[in-house]
Amino acid sequence: MARTMRGNPLLTAAAALALLAAGGAGWGGWSWYAAAHDESAAYATTRDEVLAAGEQAVQNMNTLDHRDLRRGLDTWQDSATGDLLAQLTGGRARFERQIQQARTVTSAKVLSGAVTELDTRAGRASVMVALRITVTPPKGAPAAKESRMLGELTRTPEGWKLSALGQAPVGNTAGTAD
Amino acid sequence: MSTTRHLINRRRRLATAQAPRPAPPPPRTDRPDGPDRLKGPVRAGRPGAGEHPGHPEHPEHPDGAVRTGRPGSGGGAEDASPPRSRPRPRLPAALGVLTVLLGGFAAWATGEAAALRDTSAARNTALTDIARTSELKGQVTKAVNELFSYDHAATATADRAIRAHLTGKAVGQHRAMLAPVRAQAARQKLVLTTTVTHSGVELIDGDRARVLVYADQSNTRTAASKPETTYGAAMFAVEAIRKDGAWRIAVIDTLGAGS
Repeated sequence: MARTMRGNPLLTAAAALALLAAGGAGWGGWSWYAAAHDESAAYATTRDEVLAAGEQAVQNMNTLDHRDLRRGLDTWQDSATGDLLAQLTGGRARFERQIQQARTVTSAKVLSGAVTELDTRAGRASVMVALRITVTPPKGAPAAKESRMLGELTRTPEGWKLSALGQAPVGNTAGTAD
Repeated sequence: MSTTRHLINRRRRLATAQAPRPAPPPPRTDRPDGPDRLKGPVRAGRPGAGEHPGHPEHPEHPDGAVRTGRPGSGGGAEDASPPRSRPRPRLPAALGVLTVLLGGFAAWATGEAAALRDTSAARNTALTDIARTSELKGQVTKAVNELFSYDHAATATADRAIRAHLTGKAVGQHRAMLAPVRAQAARQKLVLTTTVTHSGVELIDGDRARVLVYADQSNTRTAASKPETTYGAAMFAVEAIRKDGAWRIAVIDTLGAGS
């Protein structure tokens, strides 16, 4: 045996290289498997999905054009689930009348957003979305204001949707509101 | 079977010892030998080729081994060298192919793993790294509370907060933001209090981070006979850098708002 190896350096070298390559393949395969099944990576991916869905939904809920109310409110309902959806559906007729009278065009821009809580098992998450909302009345200049939104999302078969949405209350830590 | 192999090896060793200088290998005459006869010596002589110990031709082995070992034994000598030399280029070639395949897989798998790990989602450890996320939130909350609170009667506290929590560009930004307060503080006996109500970690990438902050502010003028307080809401983001185990605010992003 030793004689064979000594007598054939080519074979020895080839065997050593093959062994090295096998080691590399084993390590690479394991590393790939580990990366593909990394729980925190999956969690991170979900976190980013939740943020994207949350920002989009919050923006949708702050966008409305009185000239195209039906589509706007359909988008609202598509972005919502649970209690929020029930509220929207219940108040829709009254809200439509209000907007038709006010004849406003509202648009929103997401300035920044963050996921504050994420429970992937329960399918619930909380987000903060900093918004700039611009309301254009039928006459006069558009008015912009910043809005500190807090949203809760719930996982549905069609993706993450808002189940609650509101503004961070102002001044609750220091007394009355502004 | 292994006893047979032992025997073979032993015989071969003995044979080598007896004839330290075997005759030069005879010309290749492997062809005429046919596959049946080749197998014996190949298996006997090559450790890598012994995967089939239960081969029906094994009884031939001792013969083959003797042949490989004894150069003088006529026809046996003719068989001996060819089987040894013939697989030589083949086995290294096979190993070479194997090396290329395995090496290729190794490179590919490592690349896939790196790609999976290097996505922006995976690099951002906000929320995934629970300890670091809560440490960051806690420290940024404390820093903002201290940095944006100002008591005309305790200006040293404010200066200490600046040294403790700010770095880089944020030092100048903070000075500009607090300048009006500082200018009026003494005369109006101002007490500005900032309380972070919500904070959310947008990003943690190693020692860099970005946090979205909602804060309430109350500003009390105590100079007048009747103190008056105004309340305000603030939202902004801070970029923080971890230095010496503590997060410091490096940039204050007012999200496009003035001030």
